[in-house]
Amino acid sequence: MNDSYPLAPVWFVDVVGSSLVIVFAFLAVMYAARLARIQKSSLIWTYMLWLCTALALFGLSRGVGHIAKRFLLMTDMRDVWVSLRPYSGGINTVAFVLVASITLFFQRVQKINREILQDKKALETASREVMHLNRNLESVVQERTDELSRSEQKFRRIFESSMDVIFILDDNGRFLDVNPAGISTLGYDRDLLVGQMGLNDLCTSGEAYASLFQELHTTGFVKDRECLFLARNGSELHLLLSATIRRGESGETLNYEGIAKDITSRVQMERQLQQADKLASLGQISTGIAHEINNPLGIILGYTQLLLREQAPASQMHDDLKTIEKHTRNCKGIVEDLLKFSRSTAIRKIPFDVNGSLAEVISLLAHQFELDKIDIRTNLDVTIPKITGDAEKLKQVFMNLLMNARQAISGKGEISVTTRRNGDSVDISISDTGSGIAPQVMNKIFDPFFTTKPVGEGTGLGLSVSYGIVQDHNGHIEVESRSGKGSTFTVILPLIEQSEAETTI
Amino acid sequence: MIRSRVPAVILAALVLCIKPDCAEAFQSHPAPEGLYVHQIAHVVFMIAMGFLAYWLQYNQLIRERGWRLIQLACLLLILWNVVAFVGHWVETHIPDASVLGEPDWSQRIRIDLHPLIPLYYMLKLDHLVSVPAMIALFLGVRSLYKQALAEEHHFDE
Repeated sequence: MNDSYPLAPVWFVDVVGSSLVIVFAFLAVMYAARLARIQKSSLIWTYMLWLCTALALFGLSRGVGHIAKRFLLMTDMRDVWVSLRPYSGGINTVAFVLVASITLFFQRVQKINREILQDKKALETASREVMHLNRNLESVVQERTDELSRSEQKFRRIFESSMDVIFILDDNGRFLDVNPAGISTLGYDRDLLVGQMGLNDLCTSGEAYASLFQELHTTGFVKDRECLFLARNGSELHLLLSATIRRGESGETLNYEGIAKDITSRVQMERQLQQADKLASLGQISTGIAHEINNPLGIILGYTQLLLREQAPASQMHDDLKTIEKHTRNCKGIVEDLLKFSRSTAIRKIPFDVNGSLAEVISLLAHQFELDKIDIRTNLDVTIPKITGDAEKLKQVFMNLLMNARQAISGKGEISVTTRRNGDSVDISISDTGSGIAPQVMNKIFDPFFTTKPVGEGTGLGLSVSYGIVQDHNGHIEVESRSGKGSTFTVILPLIEQSEAETTI
Repeated sequence: MIRSRVPAVILAALVLCIKPDCAEAFQSHPAPEGLYVHQIAHVVFMIAMGFLAYWLQYNQLIRERGWRLIQLACLLLILWNVVAFVGHWVETHIPDASVLGEPDWSQRIRIDLHPLIPLYYMLKLDHLVSVPAMIALFLGVRSLYKQALAEEHHFDE
């Protein structure tokens, strides 16, 4: 007996252990089932339930087999056990394989579960956001609307209150929107401009328009480009234009956005300065020439008149001397005009009535104009005060302008004379319905000896002399002209205080 | 493709009907096969448990107590499979005459008939490993359940 061990402990451990395995395996199944119940959407708990069930089946098959074996052998039923044994072993083997098979799916299940949990989390986050948005939608919309409104107001204020022209054009170059400064500068009603007119309707030159848009399409923008446009009243507008093109995703043109600064006054001032410089130079030359020629002409005229006294009136010599005298006088007239232009003659400034002076000049010319079938219309502002200046010299200016107007009209026509007070100055406008002035000669019309009249019909000094006289009165002359439509010359004279009167230059 | 094989299948069926002794449709499975299958099942079980223990580690699930206990259950089941596998192998070498007496509580086993009998005796106590394995599994699942329950309550609050 010393060489043997009792098997009772083995049988005891076998029976009790088998029972405990079954008990704990099913307890595990119970908790796994609870887990799967409280988190139904969790795939991993469902998997755990399957695994625990498989382990429970393994424990059951093995435990029942062992207990049954012990029971059958102890109750002398070996035959029964011998017949059951293969089934018990087979089922036990199948249980092993079942547990192993289920276990090997763990990683796949874990991966799917992780993805499901991530998706669930993302869905829950999205759901929370949607719920939050739903709850606060009204306030969020209000907040965004307020922000948008503030932003819109800010840019609208810039758009509305800008002193420069801001505009938006559609892809065909038609106005989509223009700010009030643009409406005011261009002189068109908004309804007429927006949607009806394009930038090409305002451009004076088709070539300039084409060039502008070509550059816009090539580079995408134009910057500080000086462009000439026409306002509704026909006056020229010099605008410093910057614009960009806005394209869609596929590169198509959506619209054009631009800003333009009105530099007309600056351009006119530059022109006047250039003109003044030019005329000052010419004046100096003219003065020198006039003085040099005036004396010999006086001598020629004196000796011609002496010779005339000695000739019989009907003689050939007398007629020849008369011709010399006539042309010498013409030459002296030109020289005197030159001297007037170069301001070398005295100007006596006293207060006088502009309307009265104009009426005198018009009455002198009225008969002649009537014969030429030209109507003179006057619109004189009776409220304008007297201005201080040389009335005779200014009458000469008005005379020159009216004569030029008459000559610009071929056939029937109309000349309008208008006076009006404009702040601290008086505007005297003389408009005609004549042929107008060609743009290419516009900057030469005040040059001495420049004339469009046939040779012998004009000296080309009328406008330059008038220019000089007006400048002596601290005024200036503005010209607006459209070829074929007529011209308007506006003499702008400052109103000088009475205390400054009675001055002599 | 299937239609083209139909005549060949019919021909083979006819040959088998005429001369069935050459078909060798099945082979006989003598007694050791059952043990081999069972031993292979032990190996498969062991490998599966090894994979599960590794995946729990790899996925860092063992940071939670429940999964840690389940990993312990896996390791104990691997040990149990080793014990059982060796036990089955040793059992084949033990002579039947080594067990003495009637199959009741007084039964004994002689240890002088084969040197592996003491090892066999110890390996027969395999429940000392399998029971703790099942306890670890139960405690692990219960721990996971309690944790999930606490999370559910926390979420509800």
